[in-house]
Amino acid sequence: MLRFAVTRILMAVPTLLIVAIAVFALIRLVPGDPASLMLGDLADATSLASLRHNLGLDRPLPVQFAIWFQNALSGDLGRSITSDQAVLPLVIERFWVSAKVVMAAVIFASLVAVPAGMIAAWRQNSALDVALVAVSTLLLSVPTFWLGLLLLLFFGLKLGWLPVVGYVSFSDDPWRALLYLIMPVMTLFLHEIGVLMRMARASALEVLRLDYITHARAKGLSESVVLWRHAFKNAFAPTWTLIGLMLGNLLGGIAVVETVFTIPGLGRLLVDSIFARDYPVIQGCMLFIAVIYVLVNLVVDLLYPMFDPRVTAE
Amino acid sequence: MSYSAPNALIGGTTIGVVAVAALIGAVWTPYDPLAIDFMARLAPPGGAHWLGTDEFGRDVLSRLMAGASTSAWISLLTVILAVGAGTALGVFTGFVRGWVDRVLMTFNDALLAFPGILLALGLLAVFGANKYGIIFALGIAYTPSVARVVRGTVLSLREREFVEASRVMGNSEIYTMWRHILPNCIAPLTVLATSLFGWVLLAESALSFLGLGVPPPAPTWGNMLAASRAFIAQAAWLGIFPGLCISLTLLGINLLGDAVRDRLDPRMRGV
Amino acid sequence: MTRRLLFALPCALAVLIAVSPAIAKPLTVALNADIRSSNPGVNRDDNTDGVILNVVEGLVAYGEDARVKPLLAKSYEVSDDGLTYTFSLREGVKFHNGAEMTAADVLWSWNRYMDPKTEWRCLPEFDGRNRLKVVSAEAPDAHTFVMKLNEPSALFLATMARTDCAMTAILHKDSVKADGSWDKPIGTGPFIFGEWKRGEYVTLNPFHDYQSPPGEKPDGYVGSKRPLIDEAKFLIVPDAATVKAAVVGGSLDVAQVADSDVAELRQSPALDISTPQVATKHTFLFQTRDPLLSNVKLRQAIAAALDMKQIVAAASNGLGTVNNSAVPPTSAYFDEVQRQGYSHDLQRAKALLAEAGYKGEEITILANQRVAMPSYPAAVMAQAMMQAAGINARIEVLEWATQLDRYQTGRYQMQSFSYSSRLDPALSYEQFSGPKDEQPRKVWENPKALDLIDQAYVISNEEKRGKIFDALHRMMIEDTPLIILYNGVDSVAYSKRVQGYSTWEGKPRLWEVSVAD
Repeated sequence: MLRFAVTRILMAVPTLLIVAIAVFALIRLVPGDPASLMLGDLADATSLASLRHNLGLDRPLPVQFAIWFQNALSGDLGRSITSDQAVLPLVIERFWVSAKVVMAAVIFASLVAVPAGMIAAWRQNSALDVALVAVSTLLLSVPTFWLGLLLLLFFGLKLGWLPVVGYVSFSDDPWRALLYLIMPVMTLFLHEIGVLMRMARASALEVLRLDYITHARAKGLSESVVLWRHAFKNAFAPTWTLIGLMLGNLLGGIAVVETVFTIPGLGRLLVDSIFARDYPVIQGCMLFIAVIYVLVNLVVDLLYPMFDPRVTAE
Repeated sequence: MSYSAPNALIGGTTIGVVAVAALIGAVWTPYDPLAIDFMARLAPPGGAHWLGTDEFGRDVLSRLMAGASTSAWISLLTVILAVGAGTALGVFTGFVRGWVDRVLMTFNDALLAFPGILLALGLLAVFGANKYGIIFALGIAYTPSVARVVRGTVLSLREREFVEASRVMGNSEIYTMWRHILPNCIAPLTVLATSLFGWVLLAESALSFLGLGVPPPAPTWGNMLAASRAFIAQAAWLGIFPGLCISLTLLGINLLGDAVRDRLDPRMRGV
Repeated sequence: MTRRLLFALPCALAVLIAVSPAIAKPLTVALNADIRSSNPGVNRDDNTDGVILNVVEGLVAYGEDARVKPLLAKSYEVSDDGLTYTFSLREGVKFHNGAEMTAADVLWSWNRYMDPKTEWRCLPEFDGRNRLKVVSAEAPDAHTFVMKLNEPSALFLATMARTDCAMTAILHKDSVKADGSWDKPIGTGPFIFGEWKRGEYVTLNPFHDYQSPPGEKPDGYVGSKRPLIDEAKFLIVPDAATVKAAVVGGSLDVAQVADSDVAELRQSPALDISTPQVATKHTFLFQTRDPLLSNVKLRQAIAAALDMKQIVAAASNGLGTVNNSAVPPTSAYFDEVQRQGYSHDLQRAKALLAEAGYKGEEITILANQRVAMPSYPAAVMAQAMMQAAGINARIEVLEWATQLDRYQTGRYQMQSFSYSSRLDPALSYEQFSGPKDEQPRKVWENPKALDLIDQAYVISNEEKRGKIFDALHRMMIEDTPLIILYNGVDSVAYSKRVQGYSTWEGKPRLWEVSVAD
């Protein structure tokens, strides 16, 4: 297990290195640089040159990369060009904001969708199954940014129950923080239900058809024992992988939901820093997202045997 | 299976309607989708403009139709690009294996750990902000997932008896690949391409929504939705109709995708 | 009905305010982004200048009519050759730490700014890189400060007073730590820099020993500047929708709002709205070296095809007025000549097109969709009007950074572009005029015009300068290297409990403001 983990981490190193180099190169291919953005229309050649010099942008690209990389290895991701804040604390702070929303949505969605998917599979082709599949396909088809807008329109503007936009951190006022989180979490939650329910149903169907379930039933075990002990545990394994994948994907894709509800999360930070050509922040965000992605997948793989006894046996 | 027939019917009909609207939208729309009419600003649905007008007095229905053809065109070309490149890469790496495979797959994984937004913006800026830039950006972004699926299929196929047999019979690797492996990839590829079409449509809308997609004034469903945000309290229809179009199209694709999957690969049903 | 509900939303909660019942509620002002630093004129942007200029002051500052007036100086004298400036300082002016301001502090501040290590934004304006050079600065006695220039300049004081130079602020030397690094601003302004929590807020406290310059009422950055409030809190609220909700709900006292929200906010009984003009210029730029647009007739045709009243009405939501002149309407130099601009004449446009030999070639207008900038709506309107005149216009929307890059390098045909505020007409012309070989971002390179602008840099006599600006305006309308559409509007919403608040050039001025409980 430990060896597996170490190998996996070592295997991730080249991936992360490629991400780092690619991000660095790509963002510098994009026209426009932070110095000219800071000066705007006022940029005359001398002030542009001196600002570029101060920001270290006048050095050759490989040198810039080497400096950044060396610092990054010692945990220093530099400072934001626009706000002068240290990048790593900034990225971590914004990450927690996003993570709260994503985790809440995924946990609630799993709690609802996994049992629902199992029930649908258990009563395959019943009216209930048809209804559940229809609902999940429908939810899956609604883009999160539109769902968000609709919720905003209905609960925010029409009914006036929930605050429209903004964010309050938990440390400032937990109650209000919750109010502000309801709609973004609900948006992601509804979307993820669609994905997860289909997955759970499919895995459960697969398992229910296997011999040992028939065997268990034939032994005269009660239906609830069969479902819980035998079917559920085994059917959960692929779903678990999907939950992991979803966490990783959501971090990249959450920018849209954060835009709809103006949440100061990691996705918004990335998009805003792309617009501002804030190179250190872009690089920091991307590296961080890649690391999280690798870690989440690693944890998923390490925990997989817990849900799928077949893997441990091997 | 049991839903296959209604799935195919509902999905097919929805996609058919969208396709027809896109085809018509490419040549004819009730109004010029770009013509502004400042007197008819933010007119609600009904009357001369069935689905209302936007903040410049442009006809929403005409823009939706024109947007449909843009979105359909982008999604189609992107899927072709991603499937083409991904298949080539997947078959190649799955077949040669060894260090070439390892290097290419490391790159592949790096791309997979790379949120599409940045890749898209970077490539868009390099290639120019237009629909071909988006096609390129999204095509490259989705190639790795295709490559993974194809490589997996190839790896499992090459251990099978008929591939072994072809080799034993003295056929060249390339012939074996072409004759025996590629045809067997078609089923999973068709399934994948169907869902890919949906993903691309969604990604294009999301990018436009963030302001990184097809630039206005040319309408796409995504940038119409993005522009509607500022008027959500005054003119809700500006956001409702394009979102409805995206959702219905995705629903059609998902239903059709399920039907195709059931048909081609019963084991992948419902996944 | 929807609007009512919108107002009733608990959005007011959006902003974090710690109110304890014993202390009066501070004046809360919205900032759309955090300040860059507390170091005046060094690491800065408009927001930073706006906050910091409540804290620090310079020897001279702009009045409302864009004339430069003494602030920390009591008066100044210019020698006959225009090379020596002698400032007499006001006596009894104190720094926030209680120390009295003397010429030694002025000299220390100046020398610090002239040290390249300080990275003062305006250093190139004074060290000879942009012509002007301050050859010496001395403090012969405690209340006199003398500066010598390499050549006469009409803009020396105007540049010192520039807000982006932080008015060449006079600071106490304890603003800097022992190791020479920046600590916090200890200035002479009406407010003391309080607490700065990054990304959340900045507080300012009144400076009770403040010595206001003479005057009945505020006049730009001079005039009466008494601090009347107990505390001011700048809250950083990046999202425009949140700002709007918060100012309606009363948790923000003062906020800059989008032009498009003005009509709606005017209906709120708790708010006053002011929409003062500022000196930013919204324009269409032409690339006069483009094979097509190098033809002056074509540029004139485009100008004649545009109904500027309608464009401005649409782009500014009815708040702006057409001004084709580079001179801001608030300026003392804005006269009858400056009022004469382009006229909308479709027949003339078509005739000019025929003369130009235009055959339907495509003309691309670059635009961006930055919030609160009229670039995109102005371009959309112009495109429709150009098409109506038979010009094959197309819009290309770029991300702002990309458009800025095209502006810097001159790679465009036409763009919908906004210039930041320049109060002196010579500086305003300089923004877009100059040789393209050296500076590709410049738009107008008519040598006669450049010569006139050069003269306006040197000649201080107001009457002579007025004539120069009139001549320049006529030449610019004839050449049409760009079309100046209108000056920006700074829409501010403020609570009715606030008295005496006014922005100037988009910057919040907290002096002479009082708050009712």
